[in-house]
Amino acid sequence: MLTNEEILRVKDRALAHLRSIYGDDAETIIADRRYGFISGVLKDVVKKPAIERLAWSDKIDRVIVNRWLGIPIFLAVMYGMFQFTFTLSAPLMDWISAGFDFIAARAVGISPDWLGSLIGNGIIGGVGTVLTFVPPIFLLFIAIAVLEDSGYMARAAFVMDRLMHKIGLHGRSFIPMILGFGCNIPAIMATRTIENRRDRLITILINPLMSCGARLPIYILLAGAFFPAYRGLVVFSMYLIGIILAILMALIFRKWLLPGPIGHFVMELPPYRLPTITGVLVHMWERGKHFLIKAGTIIAGVVILVWLLSSMPWGVQYAGPDSWIGYLGRLIAPIFGPCGFGQWQAAVSLFFGLLAKETVVGTMGAIFAVKEGGLGVAIASQLGWTPLIAFSFMVFSLLYVPCVATIATIKAETNSWKWPAFTVGYELVLAWIMATLIYQIGRLLGLG
Amino acid sequence: MTKKLNIALVGNPNSGKTTVFNNLTGTHQYVGNWPGVTVEKKEGTCRYQDYQINVADLPGVYSLTAYSLDEIIARDFIVEEKPDVVVDIVDAGNLERNLYLTIQLLEMGARLIVALNMMDEAGGRGYHIDLEHLSYHLGSPVVPMVASRNRGTQELLGQIAKMAESRVRPSGLRIDYGREVEQEIRKLDDLISQSALSRLYPARWLAVKLLEEDEEITKKFKEGNVD
Amino acid sequence: MKALMPLGMARPDEMVSVVVIKAGFGLKKRLADMGLSPGVSLRVIHSQMRGPVIIDLRGSRLALGRGMAQRILVQEA
Repeated sequence: MLTNEEILRVKDRALAHLRSIYGDDAETIIADRRYGFISGVLKDVVKKPAIERLAWSDKIDRVIVNRWLGIPIFLAVMYGMFQFTFTLSAPLMDWISAGFDFIAARAVGISPDWLGSLIGNGIIGGVGTVLTFVPPIFLLFIAIAVLEDSGYMARAAFVMDRLMHKIGLHGRSFIPMILGFGCNIPAIMATRTIENRRDRLITILINPLMSCGARLPIYILLAGAFFPAYRGLVVFSMYLIGIILAILMALIFRKWLLPGPIGHFVMELPPYRLPTITGVLVHMWERGKHFLIKAGTIIAGVVILVWLLSSMPWGVQYAGPDSWIGYLGRLIAPIFGPCGFGQWQAAVSLFFGLLAKETVVGTMGAIFAVKEGGLGVAIASQLGWTPLIAFSFMVFSLLYVPCVATIATIKAETNSWKWPAFTVGYELVLAWIMATLIYQIGRLLGLG
Repeated sequence: MTKKLNIALVGNPNSGKTTVFNNLTGTHQYVGNWPGVTVEKKEGTCRYQDYQINVADLPGVYSLTAYSLDEIIARDFIVEEKPDVVVDIVDAGNLERNLYLTIQLLEMGARLIVALNMMDEAGGRGYHIDLEHLSYHLGSPVVPMVASRNRGTQELLGQIAKMAESRVRPSGLRIDYGREVEQEIRKLDDLISQSALSRLYPARWLAVKLLEEDEEITKKFKEGNVD
Repeated sequence: MKALMPLGMARPDEMVSVVVIKAGFGLKKRLADMGLSPGVSLRVIHSQMRGPVIIDLRGSRLALGRGMAQRILVQEA
């Protein structure tokens, strides 16, 4: 019958259309709506008493995976993890940092001068900076190991899956994102749990947008100097911008770079266990050791290079305007003109930031020859920065490139140079565009 | 003069359907086979006022898709035999799951009475169910029962008689499937209304079934069969 | 043949066995690798109708997304 054929054709078109919109079979959507209707009716019609008795681990699971409680519980756990990590590590970091400063000061005295400078300023200064991050990173790994061994992580990924699905990511992508707030290196390594190659790649690519701990000194310094009354808010806005852009880039990447359906969520939930100290330490070392080895080798290499550039030509002021790196800085500086900070000091600092983002601040300190306290004033007066420029600079340093160690990690985890290169590329472009937009639009609006 | 009524019992397995059947038919039941298949068919009779009621016990099902023989049998019976009343036995302690079948029956346009069974257990667990509201939302009468103690049987029979007398055609439950899906349903509905199949089944129901890629219904359209 | 239902509809603590999995080859294989294939029995631990489903399969726990739970058809064991 002719009508029947037509009906079937319309049906096929309808199914294809619905599939393209919802990313799911019409059948699933229809079933979903039916359940929704039933839910609605029952909400109005039935009053149930409190949760019924269950086995204790099932009971815990019901709560942790529960639609309404799951996310707040997860946030609380994450908050606790960060508090643990950064509170405990702060004194340790200061101690290590002071230790390296001490050794560096002694080393600079070694003769010949150039050797002293290489070891003191270069290697110990550069590598030492990175090593001061051992405490927070290792503590973070301990916290993660505890959460994983106890079995909680699996439930957390499960809880987050629904939310992540909405932005085109996977439940398992959420944890690396959170870890990225501490340090991008363990975060990217944590993407190993994502089976789907596409999902994993996207998670890795956007991870550097999560503002890592190394960038915090930059924000604190500049926010404190230029936005004294709104310090906290400004720092928070950096994190927020990072998150928003990460979500945006995830959507863009999923659409144009790596299209494809999101992997289905099936996951083994290990039973709840009490983590053992040995187990935790072993896991911590497994991850931490990679950080030390990989970060160490590449950084040592780059540090020496930077030291070379800062010390040549011989006898020049270390990292001064006439050194090679100063020349380099003055060469690059014009690029930052539209962003508002086209000065060689800013360019050089950002360049050093490639090593490790903390060095941006350290470099500025060396250039202006002041300790961090007076740095804000020095920048404001000598470079003529306004709050708008400072904000633009902060956004740039948030976005511009991942540090060398992170680049090395991306290379290791993706097994190619293509992706780290791509990350560097897109981040540079993104950073420049955002900083320029902020500065130019801010100028137009008369914000300074 | 006795009036004859044909009714069918439907519901989830373990909802107490068999007990209700036994309460209604007592010793007046016999077991056979559904034609052409090895699925057991139970039928019986019962008297109420001046009615002689034929009761068909359909296989226990959770849904009316075309995946299992049971579902196909249940569905076909309701559509082809057109019982005067369909009684859906629902486990009050498991409403979410049981209602999934109920709303499919309602979407089909069946003349439905919901028999809310195992009320004692639900009450024991602390549930409180507002029967009037439930009936309002579903657009169908709701009869509370505790079939294991033969409670509610008379009320059920009363409702069955009442529905049989009423000439009102059920309008069929309309669930909003969302704008996109509804648009597609409308398109199909218009075309289906011109097809022969719409004389047997509600057009909207057929449209939804097609979108659900229901094998049986799709096959019927492909073959162009009306029976 | 007993009545079929999607896994998402099973009650907690219910023992069911898998009858058919409506999925593409890759996914079916992945599930089979985790022990989930037709004929297998499992126990439902947690189910929120439209939410995730947690099952006990041969002693190990599996969490399944809602879409997944809709595609696995089971019957009472």
